[in-house]
Amino acid sequence: TPKPLDLCSSPSPPINRRQSTNPIRRISFHQTSPPMDGSIGVGQGQQQQPQPQQDQQQQQQQAKVVERLNPAVQQQLNLESVKTRAISLFKAISRILEDFDLLARTNSVPKHDVSSQFSMVNLELYNIVEDIKKVSKAFVVHPKNVNAENAAILPVMISSKLLPEIEADDNAKREQLLYGMQNLSIPAQIEKLKARIDMIGAACESAEKVIADTRKTYFGARQGPTNILTLDKAQAAKIQDQGNALRNAVNHGQGLRLPMEQRQMTAALPAHLVDVLPVGENTQTISESSGGMYMKNTPPVSSNNVNNQGTLMQGSGSQLMGRAAASPGNAGTSSFDNTTASPLPYANSPRSAANMMNTPSPQQQTQQQHQQQQQQQQRQKFMQLPQHQQQMLAQQLRQSPMTGLGQNQLSQLHDLQGQAQNKYQLHGQNQMQYSQSLGGQQFQGRQLPSGGIQHGISQSQLNQGNQLNRHLNQMSGTANSALFNAAQATPNNQMMSNMSAMMTSQPHVARMQLY
Amino acid sequence: KEKCYKLSLDLKQSTNGHVEALEILLLGLCGVPKENLRVHELCLKSGPNLGSEASEIRILCDLMQPEPAWTVRHVGGADQISVLVRTMVESKASKHVLRLFYLLGYKLDHELLRVGFAFHFQRGAQITVTVSSYSRLLKLHATDDDNVPVTPGIQMVEVTAPASAENYTEVAAAVSSFCEYLAPLLHLSKPGVSTGVVPTAAAAAASLMSFSGSTNIRHSEV
Repeated sequence: TPKPLDLCSSPSPPINRRQSTNPIRRISFHQTSPPMDGSIGVGQGQQQQPQPQQDQQQQQQQAKVVERLNPAVQQQLNLESVKTRAISLFKAISRILEDFDLLARTNSVPKHDVSSQFSMVNLELYNIVEDIKKVSKAFVVHPKNVNAENAAILPVMISSKLLPEIEADDNAKREQLLYGMQNLSIPAQIEKLKARIDMIGAACESAEKVIADTRKTYFGARQGPTNILTLDKAQAAKIQDQGNALRNAVNHGQGLRLPMEQRQMTAALPAHLVDVLPVGENTQTISESSGGMYMKNTPPVSSNNVNNQGTLMQGSGSQLMGRAAASPGNAGTSSFDNTTASPLPYANSPRSAANMMNTPSPQQQTQQQHQQQQQQQQRQKFMQLPQHQQQMLAQQLRQSPMTGLGQNQLSQLHDLQGQAQNKYQLHGQNQMQYSQSLGGQQFQGRQLPSGGIQHGISQSQLNQGNQLNRHLNQMSGTANSALFNAAQATPNNQMMSNMSAMMTSQPHVARMQLY
Repeated sequence: KEKCYKLSLDLKQSTNGHVEALEILLLGLCGVPKENLRVHELCLKSGPNLGSEASEIRILCDLMQPEPAWTVRHVGGADQISVLVRTMVESKASKHVLRLFYLLGYKLDHELLRVGFAFHFQRGAQITVTVSSYSRLLKLHATDDDNVPVTPGIQMVEVTAPASAENYTEVAAAVSSFCEYLAPLLHLSKPGVSTGVVPTAAAAAASLMSFSGSTNIRHSEV
């Protein structure tokens, strides 16, 4: 049995046929209407749920009934998506209308993009209409009653037709139509009306044809002679391959890795990198296995080179330099050179205290090579000098007026010294090495020769680090790195809490605090 | 510095001739003017010192801003949401971020230059559509030199929207429904799967461009 509210669209696209040849049935103000099978005209039996009771229930259930589409229809037409598209189209059109409004009011010339929006709207409308056309035979519009409940959901044309005012209007129009034919016999009237209807129908057809032809010419003009759908297999395959290549390149970097020789620094860095990567500094590349790119006269030190940008570890300029010069008396330093860009510039180490600043002296470079061979020994010594290191740290911090280091930071650092040892995990004798440069941006002589590094940073240390982050934010990069240097990476050393700013473990990346 | 998931759906790559048509379509759909895009993307990988598994970090430098704007992006591993979905975390950063990562032991794996345009708009979710061509840099960091597109004539269309674990499905639905509008020109493709050319692409492109008076859809590439 039919439901009182059959929500359907008219069988033909509403835009093209204003005067629909399918009259909308008007059955107004019936409270109980007998089931009207004939009036539904549903080809495919839309309503699936059998109704136990009839008339009264029909009216009462008007608004509560849930419509279900025949599954076949559903296959052909995704109602939800059409609805969404229709709504969006409506919004787009209203937006365009507003624009036109504005234009009309201000008398300005429409811009190019308005017409392009129109073409988009046109295309979308065409698509929607095509989709509906496919299944329109299944639908028919059939309201039986217009009341407060359903007035809102009935399309305007249909609902308004049932209002008494409109009805009167309708009658008047009908009379006008039949004005000249009152005297004729009924069949004659029918004939005349039919003729008129046919004429109008023909006019609509030709209008439709004109629109379709225009559309085709626009389509066709751009197409050219070739049939677009015949992509020969080779071309299709080629496009597919190219697509995959692009995707792989973007997502995984395939095909983009430069071989070693090509990783020479360009003569001129682009503007955004100029003050980020100091001149002369070499970038880290995964494929490098030696420090060969760094300095011409530095031999590769070990096979597991880290090639850090140790040159970035600048001291805070003059202060540290002053310190280096003035600190002869570190225990155990005597065995080390004072002037080298040391491969082991641990701030706490006896050696690094003296070598916090690299002077770009030619001496230095040869000495570097020398010292690299002594690395192993030195490392062992460092490990044996925890106390000294701590003292060094204390010394350095007391003495060095590092930029941005407040008093409380110092005390924190002191605190750290007294705390339990950190859990650096080092592989064998690989240790982190930094060399420092003089204030400014001179990095020519810098070297970070060797050693793989492994750190484990425990959570507690990270928590400590949070306290210092504020201060870190205030410091420049150079001072930061100086601080970092001050907390060097030998075992048994206290980790400076600013290490938290340089988390290395993966899960912490998201929480990284960047200054 | 917010953490968010980003839904990123690669749409089929469009050929050069269709890019204009796509731009027109997007302009109409999004209702906002386009923004030009020029991004230097550096992909860093962690060294062996930082754990047994290499982690990858991307550093993006937006070159269109008066001051270059740096962003760090990390794409996580397979998620519970779907094996095809990756958690992506982005954070703004200062210009020191590159050095920072170098200090940590990250090394440059590869770099890209990405040039194109983007639309940012709200439609169910904050959606960003970018159409860009990716180029390789012939020399290290040489973004100002002439660059070679990785795939000449083919551009990448990406639709992204930030989402959290809670509203993931709604955002996914919003993005998919938006992508339906691009159907005449593009196919929605799964990551890793190329969908080739949409049969209606040329016709749709033609109709979109018919009002703008532009020319030359290159059929040899279709």
